[in-house]
Amino acid sequence: MSIVILRIAAALYAVAAAAYIVFFSRPRHRRAATAGFWVLAAAFTVHAVAIGVGCSEFGGAEFFGLRGGLVLLVWLLTGAYLFLQRYYKLPTIGAFVTPLALVVLLPTLFGTPGHPGVAPATVRYPSVTLHILSAVGGVALFAIAFGVAIMYLLQEREVKGKRFGALFSRLPSLDALDQMIQRLVRAGFVVYTIALIAGTITATAVWNSAWSWDPQQVVSLAIWILYGAMVQLRHSGWHGRRYALMTLVGFVILLSSMVSLKIVPGVTRHAGDYGARVSEIAQ
Amino acid sequence: MSGREIYLVGLSHKSAPIEVRERVALTGDLLKAALCALKGTDGVAEAVVVSTCNRVEVYVHADGIEPARCFFTSRAAEADGHLYAKIGVEAIRHLFRVAASLDSMVVGEQQILGQVKEAYGLASAAQSAGPYMSRLCNRAFATAKRVRSETDIGRGATSMSQVAVELVEKIFGDLKGRAILLVGAGKMGALSAKALAVLGADRILVTNRSPERGMALAEQVGGTFRAWEELPRLLVEADVVIVSTGAPTYVVTRELVQQAMKARRSRSMCLIDLAVPRNVDPACADLGEVFAYDVDDMEKVVQATQEARRGEALRAETIVEAEVMAFAKERDARAALPVLAQLRRHAEQIARAEAERTLSHLGPKLDEKGKKSVEAMAQAIVNKLLHGPTARLKAAASTGDGDLPGAAAELFGIENEPERPESAPAEPAESRAAASSERS
Repeated sequence: MSIVILRIAAALYAVAAAAYIVFFSRPRHRRAATAGFWVLAAAFTVHAVAIGVGCSEFGGAEFFGLRGGLVLLVWLLTGAYLFLQRYYKLPTIGAFVTPLALVVLLPTLFGTPGHPGVAPATVRYPSVTLHILSAVGGVALFAIAFGVAIMYLLQEREVKGKRFGALFSRLPSLDALDQMIQRLVRAGFVVYTIALIAGTITATAVWNSAWSWDPQQVVSLAIWILYGAMVQLRHSGWHGRRYALMTLVGFVILLSSMVSLKIVPGVTRHAGDYGARVSEIAQ
Repeated sequence: MSGREIYLVGLSHKSAPIEVRERVALTGDLLKAALCALKGTDGVAEAVVVSTCNRVEVYVHADGIEPARCFFTSRAAEADGHLYAKIGVEAIRHLFRVAASLDSMVVGEQQILGQVKEAYGLASAAQSAGPYMSRLCNRAFATAKRVRSETDIGRGATSMSQVAVELVEKIFGDLKGRAILLVGAGKMGALSAKALAVLGADRILVTNRSPERGMALAEQVGGTFRAWEELPRLLVEADVVIVSTGAPTYVVTRELVQQAMKARRSRSMCLIDLAVPRNVDPACADLGEVFAYDVDDMEKVVQATQEARRGEALRAETIVEAEVMAFAKERDARAALPVLAQLRRHAEQIARAEAERTLSHLGPKLDEKGKKSVEAMAQAIVNKLLHGPTARLKAAASTGDGDLPGAAAELFGIENEPERPESAPAEPAESRAAASSERS
């Protein structure tokens, strides 16, 4: 059932992406941007329903895996973008973020997901929900920062290389993009920090140890340090091209390590039975 | 059909040199007087005069073209060789193209529409523009608006200082909390600094080798003068640096900028070199977060804009053509309606007269009912007879066929009356209000 609703949401995402792209290629059609915003808001709502229905079907267990993670990522990404658009009014970003959302969502739409099984009672803590939501939320903000960084580098190439083509006139100013990257990285870092704290609390409760050299834990900490360093560097004057490149590289590292950890089975206890067996053995 | 037509006689930057244009150009009260004189001329129903620095054009709704031509030849005999004249649809098309800025020196520039609106406002204030000009001009304004919103003809920068504004805007967004530095007292530099004022810079700093000229320039652009020796420090303070000195060598060198960038902690800097020979070392552009442009770069943008506008102008022409055709069709339809009304009036007059004549003979022998039926019969004959011509004239009006009304008038022997001025006073005032509210 939830997959059907999700497909409806995906169709709406496609329409929103199309509207934003129309706006990008023909900036005179401001209405396209407005339409894009509202269709995207509709997609976000339908997507929320899909997630809710999914939770009641599978008890939330699907969000422990990669597929559910992607579904959640797109939802939070969209929510974050809608929020940004409301306050900063940069509809050109939509032409970069909405296709990204659609591409990430696509692999989750095919085939009926197998019943992921009900989450083991040992990991049914409220802190787990917070952990998942904030971790994916942080990644969503980093993902938008990634999209904006691409915009920055494209515009920088236009401005510095004296091209002044179509992109030059359509993309926002370098300063606006730079500020946006900074805000997104900072906000993402805060949200990601919450995820790490919630994760630590959960690990202490479930695995009886806050730190167990689980590869997921190691990677997460590395990424937290990476983005923390970026927040710090900003304060010491880093910005512009260097900062955009760093945002780009940071997200590529983040995405590749997270996905590979989920794909390779048995590497981390953040998949499969979540260490339930381990705790059984401990008992 | 009416013998009145729309005529245009004019000259523009394309047909006449400035010496001739300035001799016939009129503004304010002089223009008003000229409009009144035109309107007072025999055979002229309405007149509008568009007078800008690039063109003077007289549009008249009149019996002939001579009064419009006289407007020029009476002012400057030598204008005769530079005039162009257009009649009917040609004249309408010309006005629409002018208003849509397709005939401008810089195609797509925004001012001309306002100037045409002003010309129309002046003409209706002088009561030389009536219902015909009101329809024509309002259609021209609507066409110009359509062109502006449906094409990109107004996009892009067409002058150096506009290019500077566009570049700075794409780097910094706006200049709030930032400073502009003018190096050298060149004229182009001052112009650019003034244009950049729209981005709301906090401060304008001016430096120049000779303090006298520097101070004068600082006063002119509303900035503060700083000594030439301070240049290295000024490069740290300012975000946009406009350089136009007469020096034959690089005034802003790579080393200077490199040091400044270090002190700025890599805050972005935009260097605009308006001098020839160049005053900013092109190697500065290799430094991170430094955006440097010279005259050639800016010129390229201007050319690209012109090229893009040429493409958009083609699209605009099709819009103009459609509007011209639509207007001409409506005009012809309007021409058909008076003929129809007169035809009907004429026929009804005959019917009434004949009925009365018959009744005066038979009067006493008929009761009330009988009289009624005689009148009804006369009316019925008129209706039946005119049914076909009415339908066909209405159809001709809607398809814009202008020949049939004329033929009908000819055939039925109807004299064409001039357009009735019933709505003349109300309409222009109304549309003038609309025009001025649009402008604001």
